[in-house]
Amino acid sequence: MRIKVLAVLLLAQTAAAQQLSFVTCPVVRDTKTVPCFLAEYEGETYYLAVQQDISADQYPPQLLHEVLVEGTVDKGPRVCGGIPLKPVKLSVLPEVNQACNTILPAEPGIEAPPTRRPAGPSTRQPGAPAAPPPAPPVRPTPPFSEREWKVLYDFDSAFLFSKDTRTVNQAADYAIAAKAKRIEIVAHRGATLLSNGKIFVEGEKIAAQRADRVAALLKGLGADPTSVNVRVVSAPPQPDGKNDPESRLVSIRVSP
Amino acid sequence: MKAVWVSAVAVLAASAVLALAQQTASPAWISAGTTGVLPAQAEFPTSTGRLGLLLSGGPVDMKGHPFFTPLGKNGRACVTCHQPAYGMSFSAEAARDLWKRTGGKDPLFAAVDGSNCPNLPQDQEKSHSLLLQRGLIRVFLPVPKNAEFTINIVSDPTGCNTSSTYGVNSPTPTVSVYRRPRMAANLKYVTGPAPRIVLKLGALADTDPATGRPVGMNFMADAREATLLTQARSAAMGHGEAEGVTDEQLQRIVEFENQVYVAQIFDGSVGSLAEPGAPATLGPAAMAAHRPGVLGDNDYDSVFLSFESWKKGGASTQEQFRASVARGADIFMFRQFWLRDVTHINSIGLGNPLKRTCATCHNHQMTGQDLSAGFVDLGTTNYPRWTEPPLYSDARDLPVFKITCKPDAQPHPYLGRVIYTSDPGRALISGRCADVGSIVMQQFRGLSARAPYFSNGSAKNLRELVDYYDRRFDMKLSETEKQDLINFLGVL
Repeated sequence: MRIKVLAVLLLAQTAAAQQLSFVTCPVVRDTKTVPCFLAEYEGETYYLAVQQDISADQYPPQLLHEVLVEGTVDKGPRVCGGIPLKPVKLSVLPEVNQACNTILPAEPGIEAPPTRRPAGPSTRQPGAPAAPPPAPPVRPTPPFSEREWKVLYDFDSAFLFSKDTRTVNQAADYAIAAKAKRIEIVAHRGATLLSNGKIFVEGEKIAAQRADRVAALLKGLGADPTSVNVRVVSAPPQPDGKNDPESRLVSIRVSP
Repeated sequence: MKAVWVSAVAVLAASAVLALAQQTASPAWISAGTTGVLPAQAEFPTSTGRLGLLLSGGPVDMKGHPFFTPLGKNGRACVTCHQPAYGMSFSAEAARDLWKRTGGKDPLFAAVDGSNCPNLPQDQEKSHSLLLQRGLIRVFLPVPKNAEFTINIVSDPTGCNTSSTYGVNSPTPTVSVYRRPRMAANLKYVTGPAPRIVLKLGALADTDPATGRPVGMNFMADAREATLLTQARSAAMGHGEAEGVTDEQLQRIVEFENQVYVAQIFDGSVGSLAEPGAPATLGPAAMAAHRPGVLGDNDYDSVFLSFESWKKGGASTQEQFRASVARGADIFMFRQFWLRDVTHINSIGLGNPLKRTCATCHNHQMTGQDLSAGFVDLGTTNYPRWTEPPLYSDARDLPVFKITCKPDAQPHPYLGRVIYTSDPGRALISGRCADVGSIVMQQFRGLSARAPYFSNGSAKNLRELVDYYDRRFDMKLSETEKQDLINFLGVL
């Protein structure tokens, strides 16, 4: 009995930790509310995301583009007809792929998870926020110590989404308040080990592009340009299929 | 001149004004150098009723005023392209009428950009075909030094892009594109305070060179000028061919522009649009009174406020038309469709496609512009969704450029690395491949006074505009729904 329980636990643990990394076309599933975004991989359907708005933590993929899916299989019930992946990182790959163009109609019994916003205009009540209120901006106060911020990117992308610009803004505010002597930007080029064993490496210049954009934003937000140092790490790391999204990174270290 | 147009506007009864509108397309064209007083309130005939003008600062003496006075050698003033009677822009019909009345001598037709190319015979109508048929002004810009793309000329009906004097291989290489003049009115909604970071770019907004403050990047087709002041200087030197312009002149131009409000004020089927009980968004006084910067993409404080009072309908033609307008407002706000493949909407984290409504993009209360920097690639200038004829055998009148993205550039998100376009739009300023075809959306006000529509003047009327959206997003609008939308847009 003990052995059996242990075996079940181990099995469950193994299953819960199943990592998947694959590139595929996303599939859009209409529902009676907002659309879901799904992906087919090795004969199974996975749930990736649902239509939200710009304040969402997870942005959906895009038709006309393949998506790199890096996630952990979740044992919870199917969502919108697909197995959920939690956590999951979705990267819209930059090149256009006309084959990625499937929208499935709504079907009875397939429903989108609850969202803060419906398909049409926002329905929140006057005065109520559309999303949980963001933490109020905290003006950095002394004593100041060395601090670091991280921006994680979609694969082969240097675009700073709304949530990323907030991170850079925080770093800039801190650097200004601390009269930082040194701001070190380290930009990385990432790589991903796909579940089929292939290694997927980002473009050679992506780290430099990320560095340029973050440095420009920091300076534009008021950080002392003479304190900004940039280091570009163009050699991709050895991917492990688990922590690869964290290899697509810019770190901002602020030293008073 | 003064007596003619002021009396036509201020004195004529509504029916007489409408009758006048049927007789002549341009009863109130103000020529550069006109003297007289522009009244604080005026009404001008449009295709469906009357356009209302309100100057919040009171009447303006046009004599010597730099907005109304030529500042350069070609005889143009700001008013040449920003006519009060035409929503502070002008219509192609008015341009045609002006050509007939002046034999093409009005400064509007100046060779520099009022013709298809300065090297064409300027006394011939065909040399000004884009202005006369589409209301387009030539905009000539260099390819940015940092461009992520190369540009080749595929076809050049005007001859300007291949000209050895004016073209892309000339001693001063420029790309000629052709665009509608924007309305210089309701500008508090267009130039209001802006966030430091532009959501659509993931980067800093442009700044006012005088104050360092971020600007909205929302009042030119390509957002190339930061402020009204820099735009006025650039326009005086470019469109006006002025050799110089003083700070005082610029300040007076901007001061005037900032007090101009226009909107439709009378509709032939509805009657007065600004009477008590009418929807609160209508008329120029509403434009002047309302607060800018309000996001209207919601169901409780909508983009064009509430048309509830017109929904009940009734037996009369007026009541039925009002009900149609109210239905059009509901379609605009609530009719869902797949919003897809639009750069700077679908590509900024919202997903592609997005099941939303017109109000998702046209979200700025009172104007229907985007509250964020408004450049998007709807597709009007880019193949295959452009508004140009689809086949080689069909004659085109706009140039076609082939844009090829460099290997390290981020490609256009929905068209890839090779793009055929009649106007690269924002990309001619930013140099980014992803921006090809992105153009700042325009206000929805005073539309009846200033056809044709879209930046390239490709929609001759509101029906063609609605048809484009219907095709573009596969909305499957019924004939009744289309007419409801047309009626709604026509009263704004």
